[in-house]
Amino acid sequence: MSLSSAFPRAVSPPGVATIMQRVDDPIEPEKPGGPRPIIQVSDVHKVYANGTVALQGAELDIRQGEFVSLLGPSGCGKSTLLRIMAGLGDVTTGQVRWWEQNYDVVGDKGRKLAFVFQNATLMPWARVRKNVSLPLDLEHESGPQANARIDEALQMVGLKGFDNAFPRELSGGMQMRASIARAMVTEPNLLLMDEPFGALDEMTRNKLNDDVLKLWQQNGWTVVFVTHSVYEAVYLSSRVVVMAARPGRIVDDIRIEQPYPRSPDFRVSTEFAGYCRQVSESLERASTMGQEKQP
Amino acid sequence: MSAPLIQNEQFVRVAAPVGVGLIFLVLWEAVVTAAQIPQYILPGPTAILGALIQDWQSLLTALWVTLRVTFAAFAIAVIVGVAASLLFIQSRWIEMSLFPYAILMQVTPIVAIAPLIIIWINDTTWALVVCAVIMAVFPIISNTTLGLRSVDPNLLSMFRMYRTSRWQELIRLRIPGSLPYFFGGLRISSGLALIGAVVAEFVAGTGGAKAGLAYMILQSGYNLQISKMFAALFLITMTGIILFAIMVWLSDRALRNWHESAISVEH
Repeated sequence: MSLSSAFPRAVSPPGVATIMQRVDDPIEPEKPGGPRPIIQVSDVHKVYANGTVALQGAELDIRQGEFVSLLGPSGCGKSTLLRIMAGLGDVTTGQVRWWEQNYDVVGDKGRKLAFVFQNATLMPWARVRKNVSLPLDLEHESGPQANARIDEALQMVGLKGFDNAFPRELSGGMQMRASIARAMVTEPNLLLMDEPFGALDEMTRNKLNDDVLKLWQQNGWTVVFVTHSVYEAVYLSSRVVVMAARPGRIVDDIRIEQPYPRSPDFRVSTEFAGYCRQVSESLERASTMGQEKQP
Repeated sequence: MSAPLIQNEQFVRVAAPVGVGLIFLVLWEAVVTAAQIPQYILPGPTAILGALIQDWQSLLTALWVTLRVTFAAFAIAVIVGVAASLLFIQSRWIEMSLFPYAILMQVTPIVAIAPLIIIWINDTTWALVVCAVIMAVFPIISNTTLGLRSVDPNLLSMFRMYRTSRWQELIRLRIPGSLPYFFGGLRISSGLALIGAVVAEFVAGTGGAKAGLAYMILQSGYNLQISKMFAALFLITMTGIILFAIMVWLSDRALRNWHESAISVEH
């Protein structure tokens, strides 16, 4: 089955609500009949061995087809939360459920999640094709079907013809594309991205933002995207989840009610500026709250 | 138009040290001749070359004996070193329990324990090999263990997301990632294997058919054949340089596509 035909086109940003602690209103009730939850984070606390409270009482639902950004200052626990969502980190207390079931189903076929790291995280000794095929190799999937998936993933991220290049021969943007292609070959339902474009220049970043949006729509993914950038979060997301530091916690959940596909024109629209202001104010409030708690 | 030879990095890499060496030899010869230093105190390079030509048969036989010990010791050190590293990375407990003993081997002076080893092992050649292995094995253990542990944590997380076996993790991730460290260990270890072989020969004082270059140096010293002594020393030095060059070549071949150490920088 091809990547593009494996999933229906993404639903528009769904009118879902989350069980979430807000700054202004304590609990927003969940609306019935929305898309099914992909991840349910319930009252998750994460305390490191040195006593640092990385997460305090995180409540978050991610639903099928959403593009959710986790936004906040350094040290607010957004990467920790993302890693917990990927099953890469334990929680101290609380519960995380995937596809309304417990942890063990994460690796089940057809319900796969993929993770794109802050750096491209490619194997420097392996050529691009070998890097992209890694998840399939690890699951012992080979043959013409696997090859076709690798070809298609490379094609979709614009790296066709670079199969035999080594990572060092690629630019930073191309390395990130290879990293995204590697995530794509598994045909994931859920894509978790941890500040994937943070180290790139603005032009490359904007281009990759458009590419990710296009792929999200084509493949019907659910995406959780960690970023520092208000502009990036607003441009990409159907929801922006704002987090505050010390202790790391979720403080706001802002829905970006703009239709997809979003063109670069959206970046210069008054709606975009309005959403950016709203998110920035929320961040500002969150940081003030953090300072008030300082001794 | 092709670039001048002096701008060719490969040429300069060879020509620069050779040039320095030639200048040193010319100065040495000039000083020895001008000061009329007797050959039994300090022979000039031409006298050493003469000894090399005159005694080439006995010197080559001795070189072969030393080389056999060096190669055997180096091969065993690689096998033992890599095996120990693979064992150490299985658990921190194993590493913490055994690594101090690896350090113990490194810090114990080989001249102090060589006589014991020579007494314990009847076959002199094998006794020399054991001494040289003790000298050579530690850099391989230390570097390879460090390399096998120095894995990109994100790549490791990815492997674990796919629930890979420890075997897959080792073959696909840890071993390729440790190669630069391993080859760094080989560069140090190859020289130490030679030094270990020579030091053990000195202690053993093996003569006859099993006489290596160290014995040749001892014997020449007793007979005041200082030119021959220098000739043997020259062969040991050249062997060390060639071994090192082979390790550098192997490392460059293995890492040239991806590791910074083997990629030439273009200005």
